Amino acid sequence: MELPEIQLEQVTVSFEDRTVLTDITLTLNERRIGIIGANGAGKSTLSRLLNALVIPTSGTVRVGGLETSKNAKQIRRDVGFVFQNPANQIIMPLVADDIAFGLKNIGLSKVERKVRVTQTLEELNIAHLADRESHTLSGGEQQMVALAAVMAMQPRTIVFDEPTTMLDLRNRLRFQREIAQLPQRAIVITHDLELLEDFDRVLVVTDGIVDFDGQPADAIDHYRQWSHV
Amino acid sequence: MIAAQNTSYLAKLPAGLKFGALLVLSIGLYLIGSWQILLVLLILSVLILLSARVNLRQLRMPLVTLLLILGIVFVSLGIQTTWDSALVSVLRLLTMCMFAYAVSLTTTFDAMLELFQQVASPLRHVGANPAQISLGLSLAIRFIPELKRVYLEVREAQHARGLANNPLAVAVPLVIRSLRIAEDTAEALEARGYDSAEHSK
Repeated sequence: MELPEIQLEQVTVSFEDRTVLTDITLTLNERRIGIIGANGAGKSTLSRLLNALVIPTSGTVRVGGLETSKNAKQIRRDVGFVFQNPANQIIMPLVADDIAFGLKNIGLSKVERKVRVTQTLEELNIAHLADRESHTLSGGEQQMVALAAVMAMQPRTIVFDEPTTMLDLRNRLRFQREIAQLPQRAIVITHDLELLEDFDRVLVVTDGIVDFDGQPADAIDHYRQWSHV
Repeated sequence: MIAAQNTSYLAKLPAGLKFGALLVLSIGLYLIGSWQILLVLLILSVLILLSARVNLRQLRMPLVTLLLILGIVFVSLGIQTTWDSALVSVLRLLTMCMFAYAVSLTTTFDAMLELFQQVASPLRHVGANPAQISLGLSLAIRFIPELKRVYLEVREAQHARGLANNPLAVAVPLVIRSLRIAEDTAEALEARGYDSAEHSK
């Protein structure tokens, strides 16, 4: 799978009178990228820039050469987003209908939707959940369904916003395995540092800037040292 | 009640045809005054329900509730009118419900929403948007259990603080958390490619 380059050029994001990210310039090409940092540092805003949920106040974000401020719809098809609380991301009352929701939005026929839903559920070994009512799922199951809904759209990049926060150890390990096997690029915002051990690159965000950018072990060391100050 | 996967002959019929037939049948039942004919129709409706291979476990609780309500209706109508007419009314309602179960349990939620959008399409002329209304409908069905869960969590937390009997102490966090859910869901809709402008065309 050819992965689109993600470029941020002098990106600043402000909400009303508060600057959340300041002058960030980055090029992301790796398959597994982690983003860590303290609460309120700007990690979530940084991740939301990548699929046009947040548009920069100044500067540009490009995914595969397309600028997010002008091509939000196209970019959202290519960059999926798994939110911190999957319960709020699942929109339809039935699991299979929820996975088909995004496919319907992009105009797939009923037959195509059915094939894609079945295929995705089988890939993630959750075919048994297809007919379940969304509110009856456990936290781990909800997280897998949220991932399935994103994977069904066949994006080349998936952004995960603190995906393991609500998972127990077993589900966390299962999720870690799923992320490792994804053919897509995974960009993971997390406080779960172990999750990032095998990643290609980790960014440390501190007070709205990328404070450190490098190998996981070095980034985690840097973050730990910063946290002890 | 939301239909689980069903592959019976009834599930293969178009949703519009099934709901149309249900409407005609419901009106027709009101024209029948004989309890013997209604009993035959009730047996027929049960046979249809069984032949459609619906998940009977899903029906257990609704049926118990329905039979309780019908029991009360039967007794109160029997006392006020005659036992014959009470029997006719109860058989009519029960038959209608069994047919309704057969239709709703063999029609997917998605198909129901599509039918709703078609039926509501004339509302476009008065500025309403059937696609958005149907999305609202599905979100309501999806999030009612979620809000109930939030309510129970808030009530438990306030109970632990000794504020269980203070309605404001429960209402304020409940409203704030509900707004938070609404905000997250709106963001998720956007991330999942839902374009409200496109759906309003």
